Amino acid sequence: MTESESKVVDLLAVFSDLAPAADAVEQLHAMGVHDDSMNVISGIPVTEAMLGRPRQWTNVPRIAMGGAILGMGAGIFLAYISPFLYAYPIQVSTQSFIPGPPTVVVLFELTMLGMLLSTFLGVFLDSFFPNYRPMKYVPEISDGKIAILVECTHVEEKKITDVLKKLGAESVKPAEAQHL
Amino acid sequence: MTDHKQHTEHSHEEHLREKHLMLDPLPRGKMNEMVMEAMTTPPTWKWWLVFSLLAAFVAWGLFYKWGVLIAKGQGEAGVMRPDYWGIFLVNTVFWIGISHAGTFISAILRVFKAEFRRPFTRAAELMTTFGLVQAGFSIFMHMGRVWLFYWLMPYPNQRLLWPNLHSPLTWDLLAITTYLLSSTMYLFLPLIPDVAMARDRSTGWRKNLYKILALGFRGTEGEWTHLRNAMSIFAFAIIPVMFSVHTIVSWDFAAATRPGWSSTIFGPYFIVGALHSGMGAAVVVLAVIRGTMKHMNYFVRGEHFDAIGKLMLIISMAWAYFFFNDYMVQWYGGDKWTQQLLHFHEAGPMGWMWFTMLITNIAIPWALLWNAKWRSNPWIVGFVGIAINVGMWFERYIIIPISVTINRMPFTWRMYTPGIEVPMGIGTVALFILLYMAASKLIPLIPVWEVQEGQMAHELKKFGRETVVSVSELE
Repeated sequence: MTESESKVVDLLAVFSDLAPAADAVEQLHAMGVHDDSMNVISGIPVTEAMLGRPRQWTNVPRIAMGGAILGMGAGIFLAYISPFLYAYPIQVSTQSFIPGPPTVVVLFELTMLGMLLSTFLGVFLDSFFPNYRPMKYVPEISDGKIAILVECTHVEEKKITDVLKKLGAESVKPAEAQHL
Repeated sequence: MTDHKQHTEHSHEEHLREKHLMLDPLPRGKMNEMVMEAMTTPPTWKWWLVFSLLAAFVAWGLFYKWGVLIAKGQGEAGVMRPDYWGIFLVNTVFWIGISHAGTFISAILRVFKAEFRRPFTRAAELMTTFGLVQAGFSIFMHMGRVWLFYWLMPYPNQRLLWPNLHSPLTWDLLAITTYLLSSTMYLFLPLIPDVAMARDRSTGWRKNLYKILALGFRGTEGEWTHLRNAMSIFAFAIIPVMFSVHTIVSWDFAAATRPGWSSTIFGPYFIVGALHSGMGAAVVVLAVIRGTMKHMNYFVRGEHFDAIGKLMLIISMAWAYFFFNDYMVQWYGGDKWTQQLLHFHEAGPMGWMWFTMLITNIAIPWALLWNAKWRSNPWIVGFVGIAINVGMWFERYIIIPISVTINRMPFTWRMYTPGIEVPMGIGTVALFILLYMAASKLIPLIPVWEVQEGQMAHELKKFGRETVVSVSELE
């Protein structure tokens, strides 16, 4: 294969409906295109099962769990350690110096705060947000279209374009990165 | 099949489509266009007039009067022994109550997959964030030396002082901060795909604004997966946070041994009260959005008012139950001061407020919301929403300044007369509406992607001879 033939191009095929997009994914698999060389972009959440795509990995629940543990740590610090740092220790009536029920309140609030903050940050980390670099995208996607971004060699480009068009793609063209 | 039968069936289907947004899909591009038009249409002179009046109220009531309060001291307000909290705390509790609608609609209804929620989750979530801002203002106003608010924060300092974490007021700080941050993040996450949509069809400063807010979102499989996972975690986790906030607010009172306050059911009573006022406010906001913004009658329909009306009716019944429960136990206890206080509520100089509270919180919702036709009318349900909010504000007024009038030291008994806190309270109402008006011109109030997702999941299906609405679970 010559250098120009082995050059990798990204094709962006736009479909107006879910069914032809799922057919296209199936056909691309049959043609030997690996899942790693494809990405589906859509204006609404389309599950992997609908398109016959492998399950997407997400770290968000793990990051959330980590945040919850950190939040609880902050709660433990406030509830159990900060009373000892006080210059004038507060003794409330006959309550013990570190009373149980108020401690539960502090631990609960800080654990939840840690979990929710880290969930939010998890989306940013996993999705590489914010990302203002040029990206391969067409605005029609947010009008409800489904786009398949396929990575292929120059030699496969024509064949894949023809197949995708035959399966109902409204347009298939080399994707150009642009500022959104 | 005869022509007549076919015609009847066809008109039944037409009726179902007209009634249910989820069965009346439009192309996504068209829905995007409608939402963008509603947001970007230049405001009319009436809009500007209302906006200017509200801005004047905010400038006068909130900021000027606050300045006066800071300059002259808390004596400008009507708070003095035995009423140290007054309207400041009434408004704090009221606004926290309003903020419960967003979480209730967006999280609880999402968890239970209540499909009617889809078009107005954002409108409700905005109420949560803006309501909590007013609650925060109401606390700060009452703080006196507000510039020292950071003394409440737990951080190492030269004074070697830490907040007293045994105090319900410190729990308030933790709970309200957690709720404000969580609800703002929960508002922002599902907004990302919609601001990306707005980015794709804007120019000029709007394009730049939406570009920043959209964070580079394209809608890849990975982005949707992370977003949906996060929204799912938020939907489940924010519900106990919501419950904790108003429970902790109720402990500001219930943890004291005052007549009228020391009650073990104050926590759930306050939560139900918060949902009552929150749903009432949400329905008013929806009626205004539908009546004033372009194309909103497509997205917000009678079915939505009907569904919220049912919830309001159930919550009103629950509130009545808790109110009676609280009243009954206190009355039966026979404590001398509590008996005197209960009598004072009904027969004292503010007795009219106590009876109005019962009429607006129970009688009006029960009289008007039992009928499905009335329930589908935005003006009727909106009226009930306003009545409930008046009633719930009165309820908080009765619990706070009126209840502390009667205590175990008769020499301190004194009727509370509000002062500068009245215009300041009006200022918070004006700021809430002002923020909402500004938001309606800056962010898509309808979560279009959620509406489209719902429309994909709904269809009409024939069961025997009947055509019924069927929903598929796409998630």
